[in-house]
Amino acid sequence: MQPLIELEKRQVGEEAWEEPFFLNMGPQHPSTHGVLRLRIELEGETIVNCEPVIGYLHRGIEKLAETLNPNQCILLSDRLDYISSVANNVAFALAFERLMKIEVPRRARLIRTIVSEMARLCSHLLWLATHALDIGAITVFLYCFREREWLLQIFEKICGARLTHGYVRVGGVRRDFTPEVVEELYEFVRVFPERILDYETLLDENRIWLKRTKGIGVVSPEKAIDLGLTGPSLRGSGVPYDVRKFRPYDAYDEVEFLVPTGKNGDTYDRYKVRMQEMRQSASIIKQCLDKLSETEGEPVLSEKAPDLLLPKMRKEVCPMLTPKGKVVFRTRKKEIIPKGEAFASIEAPKGELAVYVISDGTDTPWRLRIRTPSFVHISAIPYLAKGHMIADLVAIIGTLDIVLGDSDK
Amino acid sequence: MSFIKKIFFVEILKGLLLTLRKMLFARPVTIEYPEKVRPVPASGFRGRHALVRDPETGDTRCIACLRCVKVCPSNCINVEYVCDTEKKCRVVTKYEIDALRCVYCAYCVEVCPVNAIVLTEYYEYAGSSREELFFDKEKLLKNWDEFIADKERPYFNPFWRPEGIPEKFLPVKKRKFKGV
Repeated sequence: MQPLIELEKRQVGEEAWEEPFFLNMGPQHPSTHGVLRLRIELEGETIVNCEPVIGYLHRGIEKLAETLNPNQCILLSDRLDYISSVANNVAFALAFERLMKIEVPRRARLIRTIVSEMARLCSHLLWLATHALDIGAITVFLYCFREREWLLQIFEKICGARLTHGYVRVGGVRRDFTPEVVEELYEFVRVFPERILDYETLLDENRIWLKRTKGIGVVSPEKAIDLGLTGPSLRGSGVPYDVRKFRPYDAYDEVEFLVPTGKNGDTYDRYKVRMQEMRQSASIIKQCLDKLSETEGEPVLSEKAPDLLLPKMRKEVCPMLTPKGKVVFRTRKKEIIPKGEAFASIEAPKGELAVYVISDGTDTPWRLRIRTPSFVHISAIPYLAKGHMIADLVAIIGTLDIVLGDSDK
Repeated sequence: MSFIKKIFFVEILKGLLLTLRKMLFARPVTIEYPEKVRPVPASGFRGRHALVRDPETGDTRCIACLRCVKVCPSNCINVEYVCDTEKKCRVVTKYEIDALRCVYCAYCVEVCPVNAIVLTEYYEYAGSSREELFFDKEKLLKNWDEFIADKERPYFNPFWRPEGIPEKFLPVKKRKFKGV
């Protein structure tokens, strides 16, 4: 990192002599949403330069995936963005399904859409709660956690876990919804829009909230694309890019929803976009639930789906015809996962999550690459933070909605 | 924001009114945990491990097929067995689960052909040493006894035969299983 004024000049006295002030924010700073460390160079209280240091939560998920079979890889994805595990599960499962050419049953696709949207709600609620708490509104935190707790309880009923769901399986999902869950989801969808109104009453016009968010971290649409922002952070700048619309996966082509966008590209607009997205999510869940009743009793796992327990490279006996007209049985190695490569990208709550798999025919992927939204968003912090106060840096980190488990992999 | 709204703190008062309304009329959603324990909302929570005690033999139902060992993504299950030549079956001598390595995915529960292993709904088992959370066969059977004591019989875990899964994926014994 280069100090603003070069040292020699300072010593000669050409410029105003001022020691650059370096500050370490993190890795245990509570409002960095994890173990993010920021080295900040300050001039007074204004940020001159900011350098994110990541890697404190690196677990080597990409490498670890090379030793596990597809269904086990999905469990790794739970630990990426642990606030919306199911969304990651879906991305992994989609990549493997495209590789193995498996058609997912309609009921499973609808269920996946519902749980992905629930994950989006979970993530956005947690984002709103912590973002508001960072900026100074405590009540919203409690209200958001009330609804999030409800969603987590529904998740608990669906798959038996609250955070690391591991609910999606290659070729479908692991369990069907019980009637209770469907009923409770209907109830949730009915009540939830009113609850969003509560949050908006508290925040939308609140003068403190407006002062802390309007004009903070402004990104123009062009710059947002250059920085590689995706998801609500990009849409806040007015670019209507949404993977659910551009490359529909699961049952997103069956449902109707809007892609909300902002205008100014500041923190407030991104907040508005996420609030609108929560409404859209609730409506998507409702539409899917209506469609779910049409597919009552259908299986939720494809017949061609791989078993949980995949054999290692298997030997297959195949008959062959010799030139003399004799039938000879030869053994050859059978591919477990077909050779080739596949790519899948989804609209995770935080942005575009992409998975790229290469297989060499064994039961484990040869290479698995994950493109996580948080990693890209962290790289945008220096640009956004330049010229703002330290207190605004907290708002900027909050508005990008980063999770360090997601970025460090 | 209009001038009058700005002077009279309209939006702040709206917010305060909302919190006051919630304070007076809404029921509390929090519970005071150690005194009051939230019941597990539905059966099938993936908590502490247990080996099912067969009501007929009083021992584990495990047949040492090692499917759970192979499917475990974190390699936390360790099984040893001897071959009984008279009955022509395997007898488990050692069944260990390292709960600190476990990721609670319940894949072992799903692949077990005889429904011998289960993740119970019991989740308050924090320990102060590694040994406490290293379950051997006796401990696992004891976990089952503790768990099943106040449960309705026959008990059926949803992961033993997940709903909506085609029969092709289930071994024969699992398809007809009714519970213990």
